[in-house]
Amino acid sequence: MNKELPPGLALQKVDERIMTLNVGPQHPGSGHMRIIVQIDGDFIVACDPDPGYVHRGEEKMAEYRNYITNIPHLERPVIHDSCNVLYPYVLGVEELLGIEVPERAKYIRVIASELNRCVYTMYWLAIYGIFLGHSTMFMWPAGDRELLIDLLEKMTGARVTHAHFVPGGVRNDLPPNFEDVCLRQVNYFEKRIKEYAAVFYDNPILIARTANTGVLSREDAIRLGTTGSVLRASGVDYDLRKKEPYDVYDELDFQTNVLKEGDSYARSKIPWLDMMESCRIIRHALQKMPKSGSVRVKLKPNPKGKGLDSVYKRVESGRGSLGCYIVSDGKPEPYRVKLSVGSFRNLIALPYLLKGEKLGNMPSVYWSLNYWPVEADR
Amino acid sequence: MNTATGIIKALNSGIKHLAIKRFTLRYPEEKLKFVGDGYQFDPSTGVGIAGYKGRHMLFHDHCTGCQLCSIACEGVAEAIAMVKVPEEHKQNKKAIMPQIDYGKCVFCGLCVDACPFYALYMTNDYELSSFSKEGLIYTPAQLQVKPFVSQDSEIKITDRGATHG
Repeated sequence: MNKELPPGLALQKVDERIMTLNVGPQHPGSGHMRIIVQIDGDFIVACDPDPGYVHRGEEKMAEYRNYITNIPHLERPVIHDSCNVLYPYVLGVEELLGIEVPERAKYIRVIASELNRCVYTMYWLAIYGIFLGHSTMFMWPAGDRELLIDLLEKMTGARVTHAHFVPGGVRNDLPPNFEDVCLRQVNYFEKRIKEYAAVFYDNPILIARTANTGVLSREDAIRLGTTGSVLRASGVDYDLRKKEPYDVYDELDFQTNVLKEGDSYARSKIPWLDMMESCRIIRHALQKMPKSGSVRVKLKPNPKGKGLDSVYKRVESGRGSLGCYIVSDGKPEPYRVKLSVGSFRNLIALPYLLKGEKLGNMPSVYWSLNYWPVEADR
Repeated sequence: MNTATGIIKALNSGIKHLAIKRFTLRYPEEKLKFVGDGYQFDPSTGVGIAGYKGRHMLFHDHCTGCQLCSIACEGVAEAIAMVKVPEEHKQNKKAIMPQIDYGKCVFCGLCVDACPFYALYMTNDYELSSFSKEGLIYTPAQLQVKPFVSQDSEIKITDRGATHG
């Protein structure tokens, strides 16, 4: 038996102390992705995140569909945050086709995307709660999320996967009496999420469990290229809604939340603070929105780009910067659509954060990165 | 001491919920009310009318068999097929109308946006389950029927919390 085995099949030498553990890809604690951790007793020696389990080829699919029929499938990566996932694509196509969007449509888009950000964050928070064994924090966000899903359902006609944004505005105008209902439910929602402080964020058990675990320093956060809540929890004030305002974000009154600690606790707190800012944005946008007017520019069927052209647009999604690069070659279909998602960029930090941590802290550190497997795999 | 107060506060905020009304929709008995009669589209202005995107409704006296809905669905779900219908309409010489497979439909409503003759709308009916795959295919005759929906629950917000009343 002297046959040489190919490198992939060669037996690896087993260390006496180190054990390799596969977490996922069908584990409820990892989503649809695998984390290969090597542990020494209870401590993590090395960690190798292995995304790609739910790769669906969204980018390739986009090359065979025209600019309008791309909409329903491009929002599939994060169905809870579908407006924000679609936002950079729609902004890019508008620039490619040279469309000017009506003022009222811009406000409706901002309201829809802020509601969607809250819906996503509540879902994320529910899973973060159950990862830490806090089942109240699973039930409450999952229930209170219903308030905003109901608003989005009234607005767009679907509870998730709204397909609401189109190049040139939004699909339909707001239903009658929407402003009052929206204001009432958003105010109640804000009151509810403030109650989470006592039960979750000021809870000494949670703080003991998540503070000082998985610390990401300011320099490392910048060096690794993280975005969104992970970057802001490490003390970098970077929010695309402020830095590169799109649509009407520059006219709205809000602030970005920055914490300096950079640990798992700070990373989980930033999205919660952001939800309160989202409530402020929604209230201000409802106030400033033109009361009537067009919401959609009438396009020709099968719009085409003007020759060889490319555009890159990015927005601040629930998980950080989300960019969309579109290349047009003058045909009704885009030549290339590339999504640059925040989840994937935040995942890079995981091996650095988990080294030396206890295995029990893995779910909280992993999920505090605001990572969504399906979005990273596209 | 600080830890003890924190834990008591956390427990207290949970206990307070004993006095707060339950925020649960008891689904088969209660159903959420939607705005309007479903998503519709006005081709003259090019803007839709807000409503729930449920099962479609086809108006036989408006449909011309132009296949635009089927073409719009091609890049999305390929759920719409044009089939022969027995009855004759003077605006529909070819006598073909859309047949929708709800096993494939993603309820995006782009077919409604594509229809220039006010023939295809969406309704509030979302209970489309069937025991077979064939049962999910709705023929033009089935799509003509206006669905019976009894949805009346709305979110009510009071001082004692939100409920589905």
